[in-house]
Amino acid sequence: MNDKIITYIKEEIAIMPLDSIDVHEDLLGSGIVDSLGMMKLVVFLEKEFQVKIAPEDMTVENFDTINHISEYLSKK
Amino acid sequence: MLKLTASQMALWVGQKINPDAPLYNTAYAYTISGAIDKEVFQKAFQSLIDTTDALRIRFKEERGTPYQFAVDHMPHTLEVIDFSNTGKEDEILTKWLLKRSRQHLNLQEQVFDSALLKLSDNKYLWYINMHHLVTDGVSRKIIFDRMASLYGQFTGSKADSTIDETPSYLEYVTKELNAQAAEGTKTNYWSEKIAESGDLPEFYGVQPAKQVTETTRIPLQLGEERSRKLRALMSRPEVKAWTPHLTLFNILSSLLFVYMYRTSGRKKLVLGAPLHNRIDRKFHKTVGYFLEIFPMATEIDDSDSFKSVLQRVKVENSQNLKHALVDTVTEEISGSFNVVLNYIHTGFDNFNGLPTTSEWIHTGHIDSNHQLRCHILETPSEEEIKIVLDVNHATFDSETRERVPTHFLNLMDAMLHGMDTEIAKPTLISSEEKKALYHIDESFEVPSISVIECFEKMVESAPNAIALEDQGRIMTYAELNKKANSLARFLQKKEIGTNKKVALYLFRSTDYITSLLAVLKTGAGFIPIPSEQPKDRIAYILSNSECDLVITDSELKKRGEWQINLLDIEKERGHIQKETTSNLEIYTQGQDLAYVLYTSGSTGNPKGVLISQNSLTNYLLWAKEAYNINKESIFPLFTSIGFDLTITSTLLPLLGGGRIKIFREQGTGADLSFLDVIQDNQVNTIKLTPSHLALFKKNDAMQSRCRTLIVGGEDFKVQLAKSISSSMPPGLKIFNEYGPTEATVGCIVGEFKPDRHRDTSVPIGKPIANMNALILDSYLNAVPKGVVGELYLTGIGLAEGYVNAPQMTSEKFVENPHSKGTKMYRTGDLARLNSEYEYEYLGRTDDQVKLRGHRIELSDIESNLMHHDDIENCAVVLVENEKTIPEEEVVNCVKCGLPSNYPNTDFDEKGVCHLCNAFDNYKEKAERYFKKEEEMVRLLTSQRGKNPNYDCISLLSGGKDSTYVLARLVNMGLKVLAFTMDNGYISDQAKANIDNIVRKLGVDHVYGETPHMNEIFVDSLHRHHNVCDGCFKTIYTLSTQIALEKKIPFIVTGLSRGQFFETRLTEELFWDDQIDIQKIDDTILEARKLYHQESDAVKELLDVSIFQEETVFEKVAYVDFYRYCDVSLEEMLEYLREKVGWVRPTDTGRSTNCLINQVGIYVHKKEMGYSNYSFPYSWDVRLGHKTRNESLEEINEVIDEVEVKRIMKEIGYDKTEKDWEKNDQLVAYYTGNQDASISELQAFLGQKLPLYMVPSIFKHLEDMPLTKNGKIDKSGLKELTSEQLALDSPYEAPRNDIELLLADIWKEVLQLKKIGIHDNFIALGGHSLAAIRVTARINEEIEVDFPLSKIFELPTISEYGQYVEKTLTALLEN
Repeated sequence: MNDKIITYIKEEIAIMPLDSIDVHEDLLGSGIVDSLGMMKLVVFLEKEFQVKIAPEDMTVENFDTINHISEYLSKK
Repeated sequence: MLKLTASQMALWVGQKINPDAPLYNTAYAYTISGAIDKEVFQKAFQSLIDTTDALRIRFKEERGTPYQFAVDHMPHTLEVIDFSNTGKEDEILTKWLLKRSRQHLNLQEQVFDSALLKLSDNKYLWYINMHHLVTDGVSRKIIFDRMASLYGQFTGSKADSTIDETPSYLEYVTKELNAQAAEGTKTNYWSEKIAESGDLPEFYGVQPAKQVTETTRIPLQLGEERSRKLRALMSRPEVKAWTPHLTLFNILSSLLFVYMYRTSGRKKLVLGAPLHNRIDRKFHKTVGYFLEIFPMATEIDDSDSFKSVLQRVKVENSQNLKHALVDTVTEEISGSFNVVLNYIHTGFDNFNGLPTTSEWIHTGHIDSNHQLRCHILETPSEEEIKIVLDVNHATFDSETRERVPTHFLNLMDAMLHGMDTEIAKPTLISSEEKKALYHIDESFEVPSISVIECFEKMVESAPNAIALEDQGRIMTYAELNKKANSLARFLQKKEIGTNKKVALYLFRSTDYITSLLAVLKTGAGFIPIPSEQPKDRIAYILSNSECDLVITDSELKKRGEWQINLLDIEKERGHIQKETTSNLEIYTQGQDLAYVLYTSGSTGNPKGVLISQNSLTNYLLWAKEAYNINKESIFPLFTSIGFDLTITSTLLPLLGGGRIKIFREQGTGADLSFLDVIQDNQVNTIKLTPSHLALFKKNDAMQSRCRTLIVGGEDFKVQLAKSISSSMPPGLKIFNEYGPTEATVGCIVGEFKPDRHRDTSVPIGKPIANMNALILDSYLNAVPKGVVGELYLTGIGLAEGYVNAPQMTSEKFVENPHSKGTKMYRTGDLARLNSEYEYEYLGRTDDQVKLRGHRIELSDIESNLMHHDDIENCAVVLVENEKTIPEEEVVNCVKCGLPSNYPNTDFDEKGVCHLCNAFDNYKEKAERYFKKEEEMVRLLTSQRGKNPNYDCISLLSGGKDSTYVLARLVNMGLKVLAFTMDNGYISDQAKANIDNIVRKLGVDHVYGETPHMNEIFVDSLHRHHNVCDGCFKTIYTLSTQIALEKKIPFIVTGLSRGQFFETRLTEELFWDDQIDIQKIDDTILEARKLYHQESDAVKELLDVSIFQEETVFEKVAYVDFYRYCDVSLEEMLEYLREKVGWVRPTDTGRSTNCLINQVGIYVHKKEMGYSNYSFPYSWDVRLGHKTRNESLEEINEVIDEVEVKRIMKEIGYDKTEKDWEKNDQLVAYYTGNQDASISELQAFLGQKLPLYMVPSIFKHLEDMPLTKNGKIDKSGLKELTSEQLALDSPYEAPRNDIELLLADIWKEVLQLKKIGIHDNFIALGGHSLAAIRVTARINEEIEVDFPLSKIFELPTISEYGQYVEKTLTALLEN
């Protein structure tokens, strides 16, 4: 799961070119992903993992790192 | 060359509309601290151009379509200007920047403007302005960084960076255009979002008169503390979004929504949120215009807190971001908002290592669609947050501009204080603004004299002046005073004095005035009870008020059963006269009661308003000055004494030395005394209601001696004020006086100014002396100028309260939070201040209505009606008459002459009507309906074998069109029988003309006749508001009979092409892309069959059995001559003159040859407001058969009213002027016994309520229609027309989608606002033409071919809906 997310972030939404992303890296705080990019990620995740992400769940806590994203998704 | 993207197009159009405004110039000034090498900078700039295609783009327009392309090489020398050593650098620089930023960019040559300014040896400024079409917020950052980097490379301080990989802007444009072409708009997510938002909000009550681009930028001074609090708020978990930028955006959009709601009153709101939209990562570093502005929508009301708004906005924003990924906005969506919230990225603090500051230069112009833009400027985290507002001058005048920051920051402070705060709670305006708007601190001056003292002074100074005139008898001031003194002394013996109450149950008379003065002289208060008051109500008033005595006369005494002391003034006259006549010298206190006036109450009983001496004197003394009342003034006393506006006519003249002329009540029923006042024309000052004023006929108004009109009692429309002031002699003053009984007669007054007052209603003006008026919101905050709130009154004129109703008194007379220790009266009226600080009345917050000046609580009627056994539930509404546009304000379409009062017309800004515009689109298709003359000859001769004598009947009215038809048919060699309908009103000359023509042409001729013609005319006038429809049908019926008898296969009509479009060729017939003429002919034939089935006088009175047989239309076919022949009026007249010798009859006084046709025009104009020829003639013009002038000339021909009335009488048409007068009326809807007798219900109410409160219409309902909140839907109930109310069917709203669809279609075609599902199509005025239109629309919507006749077989929505449903189910099952 993490790999798929990392690949998508690197190839599609990262604002700057990246070699790798740590699963604990603060995606939003470090400016790797902006809010539009994050929304793109949400759409990707919904499609890829067949989940529905409610607007209420779109919080920093759920989405700031790759680890948190997969934790959140595994709870769904 | 490439086209423009949808987003670019929006800008292009905006710029085209305002070609000279620099509204899309995006100018930046970067001040760089450090030495700059000019040559290197210029080199770097050239390189910037070379590497950035957006800077090389040019635009050009070909055949109206704009294109863009980039030039490959664009040598450019950056301008360098030396500003150093000029002395006043800052000042000169600011001016230079502003001027330069406003410079027009010629998009055909260069989309940018740039320069390097030397400010000093160590300070430079780089100025760059780009047109928005090629840049956006992100681009600015890219440009700045790229320029810094290039400069670094050329100075050698930086390595080459690679920008080659970044795709060009035109690459993006290409991709976008392909995407647009492939997808169109994908979903209707955005359209749905804005669907219910309605009209754009108007802030501060300003409806922009025109669109302007002029704007002022206002920085909001947040200061350190607010910024700190805002950052603290942003970090709270329930507030925080993904990024600080998004968090701040959410907070500010919530705040902006609240601000919009509070300043516009609009609950459904939309704001535009620009999104950088570089969704594809590869364009992250591309310069260009990528931006799209998406709508954010929300619905707010007073129950919201800042928190609840923010929660909704957060969700809304997430959903929007998601949809922004796949959808694009359309022009329609861009027009759905007039407020934009923008987040501006910055980060221009370092130019190649040199410290830099940046400034976004405001050119003073923005998109004219936007009234307000709020920009959040990105700032480093420790600094003050920067927010600027761009406010459009169309909405924000200079005063409002100064106040906006306070309003906005007050809301922000409330939010920062606590997110749970209700959004309606914080005040918007500062206390200074409040003082300025509402004069809070002004103190009131208590009058030092009483009304009676004023009157007695007048008596003393002019004892022999005339005070009263009553039925021809006059009375001087001295006589009146003596009479009043005697009566007062008589009353004193009956223990009447201070703190006592005396009811005056009298007609308008000398006795009334005398009694009123006498009561006041004793120190007691009076209670006026008008003669028309019902018994029960009088009994209630007397007991409720604990009245001590009733003064009445011998006649009125008989009307009641009295359990109270009674003084019959006629009977006691002898005794009264014996009393001393000198003044009583009783000095009342200001707080003593002056009078009690009973008004409609919401509980079913009237409520008594207690007015003190001070209140009364304050009003009268003010009015004396303001209206300049003096010994010349003559007032009529003609309104009900129970009306508080009558106080003016009763006392004001006597305080100014003027005269009262009394007009007595006229029996029972509606009091029409005002007509006597007009007729009499002796008075010069009148206090009256707008309803009275409307009775002034033009002729009377011109003769009127009146110089001052004081209008009160109900909303005064500008329309009426204008027409009165223009028809009365110059020098007339019209005052609009506002004031509930509870604030003594009038407390806000303004003079009508025709040049300044142009809105719907005349402003009510400004508070009078010693009175004040506050406009407050639901939290009792004073509202800003222009914002609507509830009107509260304060000051000397306030009533003491209601008689024996402490609770009601405390509800209505509340503590004034704006001036401790005082009371204010809650009016229930909505108001706002206009730009001149005049108060404007805008309606009621509750159920109170005004009918002909009478104040009525609808719940008063309802609670009385509920007592009737037949009633389960009821709702009473005031249905206002459909105001017709006054003749002088009607405009005619500049192309076809259609008048603007034709139903549902819509004129574009060029003055062209919707029919002309629509016709442009199907003109070519419609052409195909018309044929060639040869085809007609072929058709008419095709059946020659069948009848040896005639090929066809030619319908000959004797007019030019039908004469031309006959002559041409003969000329074509056809064998013709001419048929003329003698309807009894063909003029003698026309008849001679007809006989001449047929003789000259040598054709056989017959006249058709019927003894029922007059009945047919009357029926036609009732049904169609004209005579022609009935006549036409008679002609068709009789001529078809002859054709059948004589076996003639064709009837040729002389209908004009305009008439085709009027009577059969509806727009719907041409909706199909591939029109099928045969199908149109079939539909028209179908409609003709239905036409002859329609029940009317023709069907009842003539023998129409021939039409029962289907084959009749096979045996006889109708041919419209002008379908085959296209001839102009000029050609036709020429032909007639030369070949036929036709002359226009002169004995009809008009261009027609039929004497009765003007009756039709007259009635049509009375009932519909426009001539029945307006519509067909507009078609003649549209088709080029008449000019606009010819048509208007004929339509405006003079009608001989005397002759019209004579003919009306002759044919037995009995409608009169009175029937055509449209009045507001009370309508009672009820559930319960359907068979309840209306006259009984009216009589029942008549016992309890004054006549004017008894509804004129009662309508039974199966169920009360309810709103979403479960309240009775009164606004819906107000939409039925009087014709619909007269139907027997109970009203029931559509119940499902099919019924809703049908109702919508019916409403459109029949031009009604509301239709019940049991209403009959025919009874609603549906005829065969309407059937074509309705059926075509249904078929278009449902995509099934329903036959035309169904609508007559199943003439209600309920029945038709079931049929549609069954048909659809059957189709699905197969």
